Amino acid sequence: MYLPDFDYYAPDSVAEACSLLAEHGPKAKILAGGTDLLHKMKHGELAPEVVVSLNNLNALKEIRYEQGRGLIIGARATQNDLATSPVIQEKYRSISEAAHHMANNQIRHIGTVGGNIVNAVPSADLPPILMALGALIQLVGPTGKRTMLLEEFFLGVHQTRIQGDEILTEIIIPEQGFTGSTYIRFGLRRSGALAVASTAVSVTMDGEICRGLRIALGAAAPVPMRARAAEAVLLNRKITDELLEEAGVQAAQESRPRNSIRGSEEYRRDLIRVLTRRALKKAITEGHV
Amino acid sequence: MSLDERITPEQAATQVGTASGENKEYSVIGKSVGRIDGRAKVTGQAKYTGDLKFPGMLYGKILTSPHAHARILSIDTSEAEKLPGVKAVITHKDVPSLKYGISPARWDENIFCIDKVLFVGDKVAAVAAVDEETVYKALKLIKVEYEVLPAVLDPLKAMDEGQAQLHEDYPRNLNTEIHQSFGDVDKALAEAYHVRTDYFVGQRAYQSPIEPHSAISVWEDDKLTVYSSTQSPHYFQYYIARQFGLPMGKVRVLKTHIGGGFGGKLEPTGLEFAGAVLAKLTGRPVKMFYDRHEMFAHNRGRHRQYMKLSTGVDQNGKILGVHADFVMDGGAYTSLGVASAYYAGALLTILYDFDNYKFDMYRVYTNLPACGAQRGHGHPQPRFAFESHLDNIAKDLGIDPIELRLRNARKANTVTPNDFKVESCALTEAIEKARDISNWKQKRSHRPQGRGIGIGLGAFVSGAGYPIYRTNLPHASAVIKVNEDGSSATLYTGAVDIGQGSDTILCQMAAEAMGYSFAKMQIISADTEAAPHDFGAYASRQTLMSGWAVKEAGEEIKAQLLNTAAGIMGYAVEELDCRDERIFVKDQPEISKSFAEVAKEFFVTQGPLVGKGSYTPPKLGGKFKGAAVGTSPAYSFAAQVTEVEVDEETGEVKIVEAWDVHDCGKVINPALLHAQVHGAFYMGMGEAVWEEVKFDDQGRILNSNLAEYRLPTALDMPKFHSELVDSYEPNAPWGVKEVGEGATTPTMGSISNAIFDAIGVRISSLPMSYEKVWRALKEKRKQQTT
Ligand SMILES: Cc1cc2nc3c(=O)[nH]c(=O)nc-3n(C[C@H](O)[C@H](O)[C@H](O)COP(=O)(O)OP(=O)(O)OC[C@H]3O[C@@H](n4cnc5c(N)ncnc54)[C@H](O)[C@@H]3O)c2cc1C
Repeated sequence: MYLPDFDYYAPDSVAEACSLLAEHGPKAKILAGGTDLLHKMKHGELAPEVVVSLNNLNALKEIRYEQGRGLIIGARATQNDLATSPVIQEKYRSISEAAHHMANNQIRHIGTVGGNIVNAVPSADLPPILMALGALIQLVGPTGKRTMLLEEFFLGVHQTRIQGDEILTEIIIPEQGFTGSTYIRFGLRRSGALAVASTAVSVTMDGEICRGLRIALGAAAPVPMRARAAEAVLLNRKITDELLEEAGVQAAQESRPRNSIRGSEEYRRDLIRVLTRRALKKAITEGHV
Repeated sequence: MSLDERITPEQAATQVGTASGENKEYSVIGKSVGRIDGRAKVTGQAKYTGDLKFPGMLYGKILTSPHAHARILSIDTSEAEKLPGVKAVITHKDVPSLKYGISPARWDENIFCIDKVLFVGDKVAAVAAVDEETVYKALKLIKVEYEVLPAVLDPLKAMDEGQAQLHEDYPRNLNTEIHQSFGDVDKALAEAYHVRTDYFVGQRAYQSPIEPHSAISVWEDDKLTVYSSTQSPHYFQYYIARQFGLPMGKVRVLKTHIGGGFGGKLEPTGLEFAGAVLAKLTGRPVKMFYDRHEMFAHNRGRHRQYMKLSTGVDQNGKILGVHADFVMDGGAYTSLGVASAYYAGALLTILYDFDNYKFDMYRVYTNLPACGAQRGHGHPQPRFAFESHLDNIAKDLGIDPIELRLRNARKANTVTPNDFKVESCALTEAIEKARDISNWKQKRSHRPQGRGIGIGLGAFVSGAGYPIYRTNLPHASAVIKVNEDGSSATLYTGAVDIGQGSDTILCQMAAEAMGYSFAKMQIISADTEAAPHDFGAYASRQTLMSGWAVKEAGEEIKAQLLNTAAGIMGYAVEELDCRDERIFVKDQPEISKSFAEVAKEFFVTQGPLVGKGSYTPPKLGGKFKGAAVGTSPAYSFAAQVTEVEVDEETGEVKIVEAWDVHDCGKVINPALLHAQVHGAFYMGMGEAVWEEVKFDDQGRILNSNLAEYRLPTALDMPKFHSELVDSYEPNAPWGVKEVGEGATTPTMGSISNAIFDAIGVRISSLPMSYEKVWRALKEKRKQQTT
């Protein structure tokens, strides 16, 4: 349970960080809160020779609302920053709630949203709600920056589109006129348990008609996934309880959960049905919760 | 002290004039004084074994087997020895080959494996080096060549012909076989109005104390001192001395503060043996410890039991006879398992009054970590099974589960079919109170969808009637020494405070008996050299047994003081008493002298003011094989009601509220008592719904960490009520009984019955996980639609 030896850098600018990453290539790893990285290093799953800490990049901790651009969350914001940010609570309380219900308080104090995304595990709690809200992410590399939809970022377990010399700097949620959003996770105890299944939704309601929605599932496939068939069930339809159940069934069908010691495939699939229906109902009737 | 010196409940009642015999005028006991170690613990000053450092101290670790069952072909330690910083590497060649264990009937462990390894985690070699990091590196450099053998992982198949054998001396992997019969069960069942058979399965659970096991071994010439995180310095001292052929006086075992044990720190862990040898070889102190994974691998947690129960009742639900037919997965060694196996059946007779009882048990070896004693010892799983079984019967007969229990509840001054004598027993009152405070009747008749309420009863021994190995030593002893000027007194006892608070309550008892005050008490406990013998913290024994010794010691101090005071004050001894540090004339309390003044006078004229006491229980129990297990001077009783809410779509179980009512005799420290009940409920609740040690098909633990071995969190804890019924135990000092383990025995049953009430389906295996509940509900819906 000891860390292997490595060189440690704590650059003062994103540019410097990128050039360090470029210089050391695959031998280097970015360190944010370290709640995933250090665990893997202690268990011998990763042995980077160089660790580049983002700890001095305080600009990446910022959370703000920019007229025209939307809600901007710095990648180094911790889960507790998300949970307690007045800006997020006002705009999308659903993100604060999602952050507040993950992990445990100690982890929420140091684990960052950037780490939660780039780590790319199926059970991560923040990608589904951010995807449901149509989040974009900004990646900065030595030659410039690029922006992409978060839902296009994931390729597989621990696999993403990020390049070795790129840093995830911010998450942007453009203004889109949603009327409600929420995230429901199902864990095997009330705190400190990874999600066995989770569903995030956003909806744009026009009276009883659903004019727009996104459903994003966690722990339902190797990557956080959109449940597009389930979305199609509801789009431009008058919402009834039967229809919500149908969307749940559809989401369960299109999901691809796995068997693990935390839950069988069959169980997870049924949880996805229930969580999807409940999340939709909640976002439709209660707004951003 | 002989039995007849103790007061009967009637005498006690006349002495103080209350129904229970409780003396309302006690000045120290019966009060929630703050823990004697509270300040040190909350300020972080308290030192645990792992915090201790000695000059030149080395760090040691044990290399364990990666295979469930394999022959050791060779061990090459040369690379590890060459690593800079490594000071010693040892294998079976460097240690005594004498077999040990905690149960003398089955000594089946070696310090290091010689020919074969028997589970993933079995001990093969050990390293001492200048720091922990080097030790971990050195362990990787030890090369062990194995020939992998077929492994037995399924206890139900372990007894079959053709299965791999773990120990030559135990054919068909049968570690312990028990067949006990009392009365005539066959006849009782044949004549019963209704007979029901149910089958339940427990799980392997682990104690998960927050503090890992550790031991620091230090030699000075031919004397060995071991600082250990142990529940029993005495048994460690005994077994260490035996292994190394040392007189017990050359082995000193002591503990510092302990971060929980729950049964897992009662027997030698291997750390003290390996550490002693490494320390001897290097001439330096050696600190050995387990990390969290190693704790799970060493294990000694709760056995998984397979429990078949058949019960016959008459029309009114009166139990006529019970047959318990069990198998338990023992893992690779005996550990405390012989006792666990006997306890499993023995304590099934304690709560309900029936005459005909049969108990069959097979404890089998498997290539998994050994199981041992965990809070409640063998009792909690059979109790879960029996309480669930009883509710099934109640449903068959259309009788309310509480009514059924009241009809069968044991009464005071009765004897169980297996010869346990029960004197105090306020079980009926406890059930009635639990029923009333939980609003049972109202909740049973109007329950919202998904809600359910259930009851479970529990009981436990207040100390085992016999020690683990055969010896005629007293079970407990104590010495109290008053300081020269009377301004403080120190209690010396072998009793072990592992967090439950025994240091505090024993000081309260000492002060009460002396007529002194708690604030002036100090304690030196659990040190085989500085304190007199006591068997330690297990079988919920210390309040009653150590308490007797302390009471006797305190009374001896008081008697000596009164004697001296009589001379000074010019009154007869019988006319005087001492209380709250004042010696006074009973009829004229204003005539008094201070404790300190008289104590000083005593010292000046007669030397040290010392009192001593010891306790040996009377001969208890019947004559049949295994009759000793389950005997006790006194039994605690408890009734617990739990309300749950089940999410019928996801299977999620939320424990909403729980009510525990205990008959645990006179309470010495109410705050500590209720804390025990809270903690016990928490633990029982974890085993009911969340906790299970899981293995893959190679016998490797899948969840040896606190993320995947899911202990409940504070957020999972329900609103909890801990209440008492008036009770007085004649065989105990001041009428006390146990609470530590008994409080965990009703919980799984009460939660099981609450879930049954909520969903109408019985989950018959532990833990009653969300997925199992979900599956049961799915099955139920399927059956309803077809
Ligand atoms: C006890 C415990 C409980 C947990 N519970 C949960 C839970 O309930 N839900 C959940 O989702 N997760 C949980 N986690 C996982 C983890 O805490 C979170 O995923 C956390 O958000 C990771 O953030 P971090 O800052 O600690 O990441 P780090 O460990 O620092 O990094 C994780 C990975 O992301 C990379 N990375 C980090 N930041 C950036 C960036 N800005 N740009 C590019 N790459 C980057 C790192 O190189 C590394 O590969 C838990 C972890 C622990 C130890």
